[in-house]
Amino acid sequence: MSNKHTRRARLKLNRPSLRERARPPKQRTPMGQTFTSANYSGVLVMQHCQQCEVVQYPPREICQNCLGDELIWRETSTAGYLLSRIELHHSLWEYFKRRLIDKPWPIATVRLENSTTVFSHLYLASFGDLPLEAIRKGTAVQVFSHSDSSLNSVLIAVSAQCDISQIKDRAAIAKTMGLTTAAERPGGI
Amino acid sequence: MTRITSPNATPTNNPGSYQGVALVAASSIKYSRQSHHGAPWFIGRTLHKMLMETGIKKAEVDGLAVSSFSLGADSAVNLTQHFQLTPRWIEQLPYGGASGVIALRRAARAIQCGDAHIIACIGGDAAFHRSFEATASQFSNFTIDSSFPYGGGGPNAAFALITQHYMDEYGAKREDFAHIALAQRYNANHYPAALLGHKTLTEYQYLNARRIAGPLHLFDCVMPCAGGEGFLMMSEARARHLKLRYCLILAADELHNAHPQDEVQIRAGWSEYVDSLYNNAGLAANDIDILQTYDDYPVISMMQFEDLGFCDKGDGPDFVRRTDLRFDRTGPEKNKLPHNTSGGQLSVGQAGAAAGYMPLVESIRQLTGYAENNQVSNATHSMVSGFGMINYDRGLCSAATILKTGQA
Repeated sequence: MSNKHTRRARLKLNRPSLRERARPPKQRTPMGQTFTSANYSGVLVMQHCQQCEVVQYPPREICQNCLGDELIWRETSTAGYLLSRIELHHSLWEYFKRRLIDKPWPIATVRLENSTTVFSHLYLASFGDLPLEAIRKGTAVQVFSHSDSSLNSVLIAVSAQCDISQIKDRAAIAKTMGLTTAAERPGGI
Repeated sequence: MTRITSPNATPTNNPGSYQGVALVAASSIKYSRQSHHGAPWFIGRTLHKMLMETGIKKAEVDGLAVSSFSLGADSAVNLTQHFQLTPRWIEQLPYGGASGVIALRRAARAIQCGDAHIIACIGGDAAFHRSFEATASQFSNFTIDSSFPYGGGGPNAAFALITQHYMDEYGAKREDFAHIALAQRYNANHYPAALLGHKTLTEYQYLNARRIAGPLHLFDCVMPCAGGEGFLMMSEARARHLKLRYCLILAADELHNAHPQDEVQIRAGWSEYVDSLYNNAGLAANDIDILQTYDDYPVISMMQFEDLGFCDKGDGPDFVRRTDLRFDRTGPEKNKLPHNTSGGQLSVGQAGAAAGYMPLVESIRQLTGYAENNQVSNATHSMVSGFGMINYDRGLCSAATILKTGQA
């Protein structure tokens, strides 16, 4: 058996901990893939119902309000307020396990102005020196999308004061969070 | 009592009577942290155990209700050939923590209408090496696209967000959740099948456990495992004829995706039908001798105390502070309510869909007097509640029933 073959077999056996580079979850449904491609060209793009104009998230086939099937991908407001926030100290996914070695990983649920609720990575540094506990429910935040190192669009929440108008600002935030690079393990396969 | 009412989810129907239906042969297959056996083994052995205990022949079972996350390519009907059963009534209930009570409701109607005479209701799941990761990362389409990618925390992440919000909103402290977990561990210490029953748990250990997600620490999280839980349903007349100890259904109800307007989950569908549940049973909350809640995380049990009418919304933390939740009522608190008498999922383990049957099976065992070291004395009424399916940011299913000891 060639070395290359055994390597592939090992990866197939779902032992990501041995990989040199671990990345965020790649897997998406066809709807999730469409969300990713729709967001490549915008700050925050979601489905809007043609009939009733209700904004949809998570991405779906049918309007949650009128059951219409004409859902158009359009830019939506990035403004919203925080619902709940926590720091993860444990993950089932290798990429995050490696990130968690240094510090916990903050995530949040946010209610956007368009009435959708989103899960997002939380960029704590944008809140200055505030500890996580001090960022209460109702705190104004902005949510934008950025591609992670698995090339999926993911959502990032930052404080309302944070400047995210330029693509370079948003890219810098995603990079600082480590989302755009793989989590490496020296000597991995 | 103040109860927030929902504008768009108000069930106006009232379920008909469950008269004449008996629950017998509560059976649990010993759980294991990991097992090489597949789901059919746990489901089949649960069925075997029920038949052994009752003396009923396999060919007499003409109804089968099954819940499992790990059947793979199979469904309930594939199991009929695996076990060589020939049922004329079959049901598969993929509703996680609410599966047990929902199976009970469906099967009761089949018995009443004569569609089947003896129905086996079974929840069973396997636990292979690393199989929980696969279940958690592919739990639903919304999970795959919109929640799992954010930290890969699985259910811990979603419930940590709900728990943190509940603590901020109602002032619950970790010590309050400890009260639930510690009482359940005490119960598990008296239930030999509990995976963690050989270990005691102190408040110090609970508070200083390893951090998992936000306010959740190790002992707030259930341990995924393999196991099986089941019971048989038949007419009361048949149970008497077979001289089996049984219990009866006084009331049962369910409601799914209730309160979609709540920004973060603070309640589930129970709040909408709890009054009719007590009315139909002719009982009040203080007539309940045993309460079995779905305890995937302590905050969910606390919501059930509130929504099931044991205290007001937001009063959950105070309620657990003044209530003794031990099965033998030996705690120092004056108010007594034996709760999750086998130790619940927190101390017994979460065997996938079997976890949705565990509270029901434990209740039947208690009411028929087959519990051993953890038998609750003088118990005639038990309330069982189910909760399940974190599709995205909240649990969708809610179900509850009130059972009564039969006069066998």
